[in-house]
Amino acid sequence: MRPEFPAILRRLLEIIFGALFCYAGYLKLLHTDEFAEAVLAYQLLPPGLVGLVAAVLPGLELAAGIFLALGFKRRSCLMLLGFLSGIFLLAMLVTLARGLKIDCGCGLFFSRQVGLAPILEDGLMVFWAAGLYYWELMVAAAAPALAAAARPDF
Amino acid sequence: MLSRRLLGQDLAWAGVILLLAAVLGIWQQWQLVRLSWTGALPAHLEQQRQQRRQVEFQGVKTLNLPQTYEIFQGGQALFVDARDADEYAELHIAGAVNLSPDLLERQGDRALAGIPRDRRIVVYCGLANCNKALEVAEKLQSLKFTEVSAFMDGFRAWDEAGYPAETSE
Repeated sequence: MRPEFPAILRRLLEIIFGALFCYAGYLKLLHTDEFAEAVLAYQLLPPGLVGLVAAVLPGLELAAGIFLALGFKRRSCLMLLGFLSGIFLLAMLVTLARGLKIDCGCGLFFSRQVGLAPILEDGLMVFWAAGLYYWELMVAAAAPALAAAARPDF
Repeated sequence: MLSRRLLGQDLAWAGVILLLAAVLGIWQQWQLVRLSWTGALPAHLEQQRQQRRQVEFQGVKTLNLPQTYEIFQGGQALFVDARDADEYAELHIAGAVNLSPDLLERQGDRALAGIPRDRRIVVYCGLANCNKALEVAEKLQSLKFTEVSAFMDGFRAWDEAGYPAETSE
């Protein structure tokens, strides 16, 4: 049976989303010190935890991005990446409210200040992840019912 | 009911992926984690930043706060504010002109039309860790301005020292 258009679209959106985070995580892995500087500049974490976050986050983005693009545990990856985007969105909103003019450390583009554009982009990421997760969940929840309906009655 | 069970499975696998990334990340970046935990991370990052700058902007002359103020008092130098227009408008070094890296990229030579190539120019940005001053200074050097320096402590240090500043608002 050939996959239907919505399923292809869903996978395509997941692959693009996963690839974006792969790239962002890879850049952060290559420039860990710059990323640690960006985390430090937000002044939201105790200094003792900055190194831990700077060490774990790039690998998490990379792993979840690769797994999602490859189709392995897609909902869990979407959950993680959506959560990360949500936390990042919150951090940028707090930073903007505090009037701090710092580099956003957004991953895809270095040397960009926290502002409206990165916030809107990140908001889109949260929406993207949440939408795909909900879509995946509905498909998974409907699958047993469909299978039961397709089963012949004896 | 089924959705709740799926949600539980998803959370469990998310935990596994998080754990995997955490173990690998900490193992690979153990030095960073240790430095952070012992409170030595800011000094380490500053040292790394200086090294990166030395490599990336090796041809740019740099100035500290007392040197910059001395030049300011001389009254001959042109001060260039490399921050964005809104930050410049809020407050800048008295007499400075605004020229961000983006503006310089767009306008090139025209941005400093009429300014002699041997005029002393001091470029600055907001903080000691910003690179915009170095980027603009390097670009000006490539446009054949010969007396360009970057003030490395940034406008915040200037303002905190109580040196002359003005607003365009």
